[in-house]
Amino acid sequence: MADEDLEQLLDEESELSLLETLDHVLNRGLVIAGEITIAVADIDLIFLGLNVLVSSVETAHEVLKERQQIQSPKSEV
Amino acid sequence: MNLYAYCLGDEVTAGAVENELGVAGAHPRLVERAGIAAVVSEYDDEKIAVTRENVLAHERVVRRVLALTTPLPFRFGTIVSEARLVSYLDAQEAKLKEQLARVRGAVEMSVKIIWRPEARGNEAAGGRDIGTAGGSGTRFLLEKRRELLGEGALKERAEEVSAWLGRAVEGLVRESSVSLRPSENLILAASHLVERELLADYRRALGCAKTERPELHFLTSGAWPPYSFISVAP
Repeated sequence: MADEDLEQLLDEESELSLLETLDHVLNRGLVIAGEITIAVADIDLIFLGLNVLVSSVETAHEVLKERQQIQSPKSEV
Repeated sequence: MNLYAYCLGDEVTAGAVENELGVAGAHPRLVERAGIAAVVSEYDDEKIAVTRENVLAHERVVRRVLALTTPLPFRFGTIVSEARLVSYLDAQEAKLKEQLARVRGAVEMSVKIIWRPEARGNEAAGGRDIGTAGGSGTRFLLEKRRELLGEGALKERAEEVSAWLGRAVEGLVRESSVSLRPSENLILAASHLVERELLADYRRALGCAKTERPELHFLTSGAWPPYSFISVAP
């Protein structure tokens, strides 16, 4: 596999991990009334909700499928 | 100067977090009250941006604590004065201790299950091929019928998958929190509170279960701090 393809796979997995983190830390956890003050960043990341996460779930499946095929080309996915 | 709050617990020590780097590169410290320690760091602003860096800094500190004990995590973006935090700990002491006992010795595992696109289309179609049958009115009614039957079929399918997942991890999960069809493509989003000692068994059980349902896509993650198992009203 080309280095740039592997890099893309790793990036996609990293992105999925980040989105899972967002799903946890933004939506849940202890709240001190009136003390959540977040600003959506215009540079690095915007959380678009579960639709983004779902898109990444589908991407993750393709990523894992490709990885399995690379590791064992004859095995069924 | 405000504080950024990460999590709290009754078995947290300063040594566990003081060398970690938190939000804005600050070293965490503890604010202790009535046997509960809140993990915080100095934060010189009144709001925080949702950036990769900040989110990962929050999670990094909470995970450092999770490695040693199960804390109650604050939601990302909790910025508070020390006085306000102390007041919160005083006011909520009993509830916080109750919640800490609830999650003690356990971690959260996350399971999301999505439809395979073709499977979802078949469910929604309700087995009818509308094609070009009848005039526009007939086609409209058939489409509406398909929508209603499809919704019903999807709901039943989600309930069946939820029950199946519950059976797959039965005996390995202290508590579950399941949301059915939280979005168009998600069948369900489940959070499981799992004893640390049972994590390996849980992962094995989930791995076996996945092989039974090749038509489903799974996204599993964890161990997380118990974000989904906190019921302390603000």
